[in-house]
Amino acid sequence: MTWLRSYGLLVRWSAVRLKFVLPLMLIVQTLLAVGIVVGFAFLLPGIDQQTALYLSTGAPALGLIVVGMVLAPQMVAETKTSGTFEYNRTMPVPRSAILAADLSIWLLTSLPGLVLSLIVAALRFDLTLRVSALVVPAVLLVAVTATAIGYAIAYAAPPALASLVSQVIVFFALMFSPVNFPADRLPGWLQAVHQVLPIQYMAEAIRQTLVVPPGGLSATPFLVLAAWCAFGLAVTMKVMTRRS
Amino acid sequence: MVLRVESLTKEYLKGRKANDDISFEVAAGEVLGLLGHNGAGKTTLVNQVAGLVRPTSGSISLAGRDPVREPAFARSACSIQPQAHAPLNGVTPRQAVEMLGRIRGGRRDQVRRRTEELFAALEMTDSADLPGQRLSGGIRRLTSFCMAAVEPGSLVLLDEPTNDVDPVRRRLLWAEVRRLADDGRAVIVVTHSLGEAERGVDRVVVLDEGRVVALGTPTELRRAVPGELRLELTVNPQAPALVAPAWAGPQATNGNRTSIPVPAEYTQEAVGWAAQLRTEGLVDEFALSPVTLEDVYIQLTAEQKEERHDVAA
Repeated sequence: MTWLRSYGLLVRWSAVRLKFVLPLMLIVQTLLAVGIVVGFAFLLPGIDQQTALYLSTGAPALGLIVVGMVLAPQMVAETKTSGTFEYNRTMPVPRSAILAADLSIWLLTSLPGLVLSLIVAALRFDLTLRVSALVVPAVLLVAVTATAIGYAIAYAAPPALASLVSQVIVFFALMFSPVNFPADRLPGWLQAVHQVLPIQYMAEAIRQTLVVPPGGLSATPFLVLAAWCAFGLAVTMKVMTRRS
Repeated sequence: MVLRVESLTKEYLKGRKANDDISFEVAAGEVLGLLGHNGAGKTTLVNQVAGLVRPTSGSISLAGRDPVREPAFARSACSIQPQAHAPLNGVTPRQAVEMLGRIRGGRRDQVRRRTEELFAALEMTDSADLPGQRLSGGIRRLTSFCMAAVEPGSLVLLDEPTNDVDPVRRRLLWAEVRRLADDGRAVIVVTHSLGEAERGVDRVVVLDEGRVVALGTPTELRRAVPGELRLELTVNPQAPALVAPAWAGPQATNGNRTSIPVPAEYTQEAVGWAAQLRTEGLVDEFALSPVTLEDVYIQLTAEQKEERHDVAA
């Protein structure tokens, strides 16, 4: 009960502080979605069915990746420099409630952008969605995993390094990851790297629940993401509860 | 006893002791001043008491329990005003203070009332609903104090609460600190402001390089330095150097101001001598005042430095 009470109050406390940032997040995500759906289409000579599928489902996936692995860690880096991180450590609340409240806030932040990017894609391409009921847990899992990894980086690394790493992630996810295009276009070694990294599975989890493939859903993305999620949360909790 | 610290030592790096064998106690209703240079180990000490930093050796008893083994308990038993500014960007003082009161377990109506009281007492009601980024440094600091005082634990830890605060509100703040103690809390105030500490605290712990170099009431500490009074002279720059009488202690000069320790029984002689100097035009102005905590502090830390120097030599 105390945990839930702390959690509720912390969500409100974060929401009050982040209310200026939220509109900005929406704008960033929407621009990103427009950029991918409309802009990437300029790069390609013709848009076939598969390209349209990858671009329109890649945009929301990238939105979640950017919020969780770029914007969230940058905010954490900012709280570390401004002293908020240290301040929060003194509050008489369970550490897990702080983390849960943060994750909830980031999840809420990324949802409107997700919907907007789908609308943009639907307007641009005549895409027929075959939405699975699993789309909700898929989005949740992708968002929480992205944020958990982003937090682990931001908590474990010094602020300047965390900002740099998050910049590299967005670049890597956008250009060198099979999010907006099929994995077989990448060289073999990069494909192998993506067998281990979570990015490809994030894109797959979103794609196959928005447009269910004829063969049905594959469990692999969910399993790999769950493992990454647990890892990210464990690292974050370890840093949060550490006493020097 | 709300807090008992015994032989507390903290080594961040091998051989570099931030706290070295520190022992002291704080009772309910008492305000303890924690003084020391930057880097003397004050914040390290506070963080250990609050369960945020793990001691290397020694023990802490907070309300009869061990903050090292029960950090969650320590966080609820202590309310802290950290040295860093509280996170106020995008938040008004009222939102921040009420939220912290609720997070610390207060009931909504009670927290609301107490917030209002604190703002009124500190004369900051006008700023209560401005967003954090528009507040002055002083108001931010006061807000941070209110966040610790709105729903106080049995121990209230204030790390430099009067920094950036204007002189009038400093007095109001010290009155609130006293009120916390009168309500039965134990209060520790970390400060550099010795003049304020002198009036506002019951006992003082002076830390230097991680060690306790003095512990006692301000009166007890003042007795530790030679001469109970200070004769302050503003010397005429054209005048030749002063020759102090035999009763005078070692004089300290800063620009055209000279400070001379005077034993209490030579009060009359001191005033007579100073008046004479002024008549002769050698000094422009003089004042005779009791030794301050600042004199004590400077003397104590200088002694420590000499001792270390001797040991090193």
